[in-house]
Amino acid sequence: MIMPSGQQLLLPANPVFIWTSLIIALLLDMLPLGRVPWMPDFLALVLVFWNVHQPQRVGIGLAFMFGLGMDVHQSALLGQHALAYTALSFFATMIHRRLLWFTVPSQALQVLPMFAAAHGVEIIIRMSSGGIFPGWTLLLAPLAESLLWPVVSVMLLAPQRRAPDPDENRPL
Amino acid sequence: MPLGTLDRTPPPFFKQGPSALSKLMFFSALALFLMVADMRFRVTQPIRAALATVLYPVQWLALQPVRAVQNGGDYFTALSQAKTSEEEALKKLALQSLRAGQVEQLALENTRLRKLLDLREQKAIKGLAAEVLYDAPDPYTRKIIIDKGLAHGVALGSPVVDESGVLGQVTRVHPLVSEVTLVIDRELAIPVLNTRTGARSVAYGEPSASGGGLELRFMGSNSDVQQGDLLTTSGVDGVYPPGLPVAKIEKIERRAESAFARIYCTPQAQVGAAVHVIVIEPVSGQIPLRPVDAAALGPVKKGASK
Repeated sequence: MIMPSGQQLLLPANPVFIWTSLIIALLLDMLPLGRVPWMPDFLALVLVFWNVHQPQRVGIGLAFMFGLGMDVHQSALLGQHALAYTALSFFATMIHRRLLWFTVPSQALQVLPMFAAAHGVEIIIRMSSGGIFPGWTLLLAPLAESLLWPVVSVMLLAPQRRAPDPDENRPL
Repeated sequence: MPLGTLDRTPPPFFKQGPSALSKLMFFSALALFLMVADMRFRVTQPIRAALATVLYPVQWLALQPVRAVQNGGDYFTALSQAKTSEEEALKKLALQSLRAGQVEQLALENTRLRKLLDLREQKAIKGLAAEVLYDAPDPYTRKIIIDKGLAHGVALGSPVVDESGVLGQVTRVHPLVSEVTLVIDRELAIPVLNTRTGARSVAYGEPSASGGGLELRFMGSNSDVQQGDLLTTSGVDGVYPPGLPVAKIEKIERRAESAFARIYCTPQAQVGAAVHVIVIEPVSGQIPLRPVDAAALGPVKKGASK
């Protein structure tokens, strides 16, 4: 892969780590904190992240399955999150070659419209099927998700940034 | 440089599976199909039940930290607070024991009178205690999840009450958990009885972004309702047993341009903070079969005898 100059070569991603991060994101989404419309969707964020960084391992099918799980957990309309995550995952696959050429803050700015579109899809589906308007604080959710993008980038790439040949000075 | 430093497998240039666009088409179509099946035909219950059972361990794990924090908070509650709450509970108990004593006597009197008048006896209410696991995070509805399901004998459509009134109705039953739609949800309606006047009507859920309440619809603007009237279940629906408190009338708006008054009620149950609830068996299982109409049977008998 052609890479921007000056960027560190990363170690291969560990599939166990990818799955663990997805499960932890699912757990974070399932924390029983009540009905908070502005709560960022951690699972969507981690799915998009791995879709951008490891499109061969995490794809649209996996996003769909996780979406179904979220629908059942939230007892929402079955297929609502599945559709939103499918769309998110598709957009992520579309931009994954371009996105990594930018710095992390401008990446965050570029994923914002994707998250907004995913929430837009959900609200259109639910309002047209007779749901209750959840309030304007819902607009903060995509914003919070894209603000978390740099944090997630640092945390999930940390294992790949370890030294290839650990010695006493660099134990990790 | 040790082995495994770089990804050595060559990228699969030609075998990448279906394109992203075709995957998007396929999964979006599947999602839309599921939504229609869920909303219009209600046939997705097996998928939901299976997924809910698979997700149960994860949900249980996610509940633990929140439970731990709550329990920790309870542990450090001040002693004085515990004492005051105990005093209040004792006062409430004293009041209730007075009433309970009367109830015994009234029930006896009631059964005798009913026998005297040859009326059908009221059935005893069977209940199942349950605990609220979490508020469904879906902001477009008002639902909660309780920890009793098909395995514990919860029936679809069962009324759910908490210590102070009707909380809602069971709308989905999974093997281990059930989903309860709250009375303030837009899709729930309860036949109610105004305890002051005895007038029957129907209360509809009227949710808002912050909390929510109920609304009595189709009551004429000259109807006899007052602020503070208590509404209880009327028992004519075949679901809710009669006499459970549902709501109190909070505000009445009579308008010149409309023939109906807008009546807002506050739910009596703790719709935002219920912890322990009771799932009641629906009354419909206890209703006797409709008596066979003699007039309708008449001609058939004649035909059969010929």
